Parts: sequence; structure tokens; C-alpha cells
Amino acid sequence: MNRTVSHHLNRQSFIFSGIRYALLALVLLQPAGLLAGGVYQEPDAFIAEAFDGTPPKPSVLWLDKELKQQFADILAHPYKGLRIRYWQQQDKSAWILEEIGKEKPITVGFVVRDGRIQQVKVLVFRESRGWEVRHSFFTDQFKQAGLTERHQLDTRIDNISGATLSVRAVSKLARIALLLDNRVNETRTSQIDTSSRG
Amino acid sequence: MTRKQKKFTAFLWHRRAGLTAVILVVILAITGIMLNHTARLQLDSRYIDNSFLLGWYGIEPDGTPVSYRAGDHIITAWDNKLFFDQHIVTDLQQQIHGAMAGEQFIVVALESAIILLTLEGEFIERVSTSISFTNIQRLGMKYNRPVIETSDPLYYIADEHILDWDVISNEGIEWTRAHTLSDEEREALLVSYRGNGLKLERVILDLHSGRIFGNYGVYVMDAAAIALLWLSFSGLWVWGSRRRKMRQKRHFQKHHRS
Repeated sequence: MNRTVSHHLNRQSFIFSGIRYALLALVLLQPAGLLAGGVYQEPDAFIAEAFDGTPPKPSVLWLDKELKQQFADILAHPYKGLRIRYWQQQDKSAWILEEIGKEKPITVGFVVRDGRIQQVKVLVFRESRGWEVRHSFFTDQFKQAGLTERHQLDTRIDNISGATLSVRAVSKLARIALLLDNRVNETRTSQIDTSSRG
Repeated sequence: MTRKQKKFTAFLWHRRAGLTAVILVVILAITGIMLNHTARLQLDSRYIDNSFLLGWYGIEPDGTPVSYRAGDHIITAWDNKLFFDQHIVTDLQQQIHGAMAGEQFIVVALESAIILLTLEGEFIERVSTSISFTNIQRLGMKYNRPVIETSDPLYYIADEHILDWDVISNEGIEWTRAHTLSDEEREALLVSYRGNGLKLERVILDLHSGRIFGNYGVYVMDAAAIALLWLSFSGLWVWGSRRRKMRQKRHFQKHHRS
């Protein structure tokens, strides 16, 4: 092979290598957010899954002053909204709640059974950072978590470095879900008591 | 033998700095004088209504408002905000496709969500309709209940609590129509959107500090201030040098005149 051809081939392979590395760098150097975030599961799919494919009709819980105050104490800001819808079948309830992580809301689905969290799933994540909360290594920590008298979780939830605000948002929503389940069950129990006495 | 060219470095750099920074120094000086007389010039009680400046500060809404009548009230979507009359109720992430007042609620239809307000405009709930349907095209009313048309097209009527939706036929539905805002209504929305408004004092302050052009503007103004410092010191140096040279010249002329 003469020197001109060899030189040309070397130059070509150099150019192709350069392009390959540039593309690789472009992908690797993308902010993590561009490779994460989005809709992980549609709310209706989550509800259907929570009730083995046959979800009950939704109900609504109207928020009274006491509940709104409790929400504000947990969230550290007033809760916007006058009612929350939920799905309930016997001792199981499912909730879809939203809270802002850093700047955008995170949509999380909760299944509560017998006053304890059975399942937590991040349904929609809209931020560019903190999406690690969607993984089971984080959400599994909430399984069997209950609420103390002071409306704190009775289970320790480990933080994820770089996702503190997302972790906080999901933890707050878990407390809200347990509080709501508690309220719904209280209402149901008092209705049963009233009808049995009547 | 050639004459060695004198280098009057300080003067050259004094001139260069002055020419380079002249515009910025003029802005610094004028805005500084204005700020010194804020009360007299009433800078803190005059408001900007220039669209370009308001847009620059991000307090001019983008796009065109889309409004619907809901009973005696007007529901408007403008720049990702939902208005009940002129009050901002909540943020929007989807386009609006209709609004109506029912028996108990005001219903606002988005692309795949419904927002419920009380008849007084208080936010009740935002519901994703993906559980029942998506691609909402328009909102209507039948039996005083909201009806949704999707892109299929299929028609869904809500129950009285707006919890569940049933399929119905496209008969006897009164569809909502967009409302054209009057000038007063539009102005009321703008006032609400802008909040307290943009004071002239704020603009002058930001111009003086360079902040009106962001962080880099601040650095540029810092450079102008440093240039002004340089002009002061180099000006003093030049004056001192010239004075010394004039003295030397006079001394020479006095003692070496023949």
C-alpha cells in the first residue's frame, strides 16, 4: 500500500474515531435529566393494577378545616384543593397525589391496607434531577410504614444524595396518604356504627 | 541617528479606556444621578407599561388568552395560568377546551384533565381523565351536567359529583363557545398577571448595576466602573506628568536662554 493511500486511510479512521468519541461524549455529557423523568405509569393503569384489574368506582373525600390544617402541617404550605378522590375496596384504598419536588410536581400512587402502606409508585416525574426516587430500592422502604400520633412515618426512610427534595416530597405524600386512609376508615366505621344502631 | 519615539503610555491607555467605556460610563453617570433624585423624579411611583420591557422582565403574558363564559363569570387560560374572572386560580400545563358552570361546580376541560372550581371560583380538584378518556376536544352541557367530546369522537357525560363518566350519544348537547374578551376584561387580566407591576426605579437600578442584562451585564458594569477608576488615576498621572514637564521646560528656558 503506497504512502498516499495509507495516509488517506489513517486520516479517514481518525475522522471516524473522532466522530464516534464526539457522539459518545455528547450522550455521556447530557444532563442526567434528559435521560430520565417522564410518565412511568398512567394513573388508570396504576389503579387497575392496585385492584387486580377490577378497580371500584372512585369516591371523594371533602377536606374539612382540620384535615386541611393537618395537610398544611405536613406539606409546610397550604394545600390547594377542596376534595380528593380515591378508590376503596374493603380494607384497601388507593390514592394518587402530587407534590412539588424542587420546581415541578411529582405524581405518586399509594396503596394503603390496614393503615399501612402496601405500595408506592412514582407515576410521573417532571424534574430534571432526583428521578432516583422512582426505583424500588427507594419506594420499597415505605412498605408497611404507618403513621405515628404526630403524623410522622413510623419507618425511617433513607435519603438519596442529590434527590433530597424529591425524597421529601414522596415522604410527605406518604404521610398524607396514610392520613387520608385513616380519615376514610374513620368515616366508614362511624357510618357503619350509625346504621347498625339505627 | 533616528529620534527615539516617546511613549506616553499612561496617556494612551487613558484614552483607550475612555473611548472603550464611554457609553457605559455615560449610563452609569446618568442612572446614578437619577437614583440620587428618586423622590423628586418619582421613580418609585411610576410604573412601566412598555410591552418589550415587561416581556424582558417576564411579566408580560405570552400568547393569546382563551376565554369561556361560565355562568356570570369568565374563565380564561393565558400563558399557562387559569383565571376566574381576573383572579389567577392555578397553573395550567395543557390547553383549555371549554369551561361551563353546572349546578354545583364550574368545570374546565383541558386536553386530558378536568379542573373543578366552586361557583365562587375556589379550586376544588384537578383530575386526570386518562382513567376514562384522553384527547378532549370540547366541553358541552346536557341536563346541567358536563359533556366531553373526545377525538374519536365519543361523548361522555359526568355524574352529578363529576366522579364518573358514561358514554352518551351526540344529541341535545349544548357546546361551549369561546368568549371574546372586551378591552376592559383583557386589561383586568393583564393587571392581575403583572401583580404589583414594574416600577421605573427598578429598571433604573437594574440599568445602573447592569443586572438588566443578567449576570454578564453586572460584570460589564463592573468593568466600566474599573475603567472609570483607571480614568481617574491615569488622568491624575497624566496631569502630574505634564505639570512636571512644563516646570522642567520653564526651568530650562529660564536658565539656558541665550
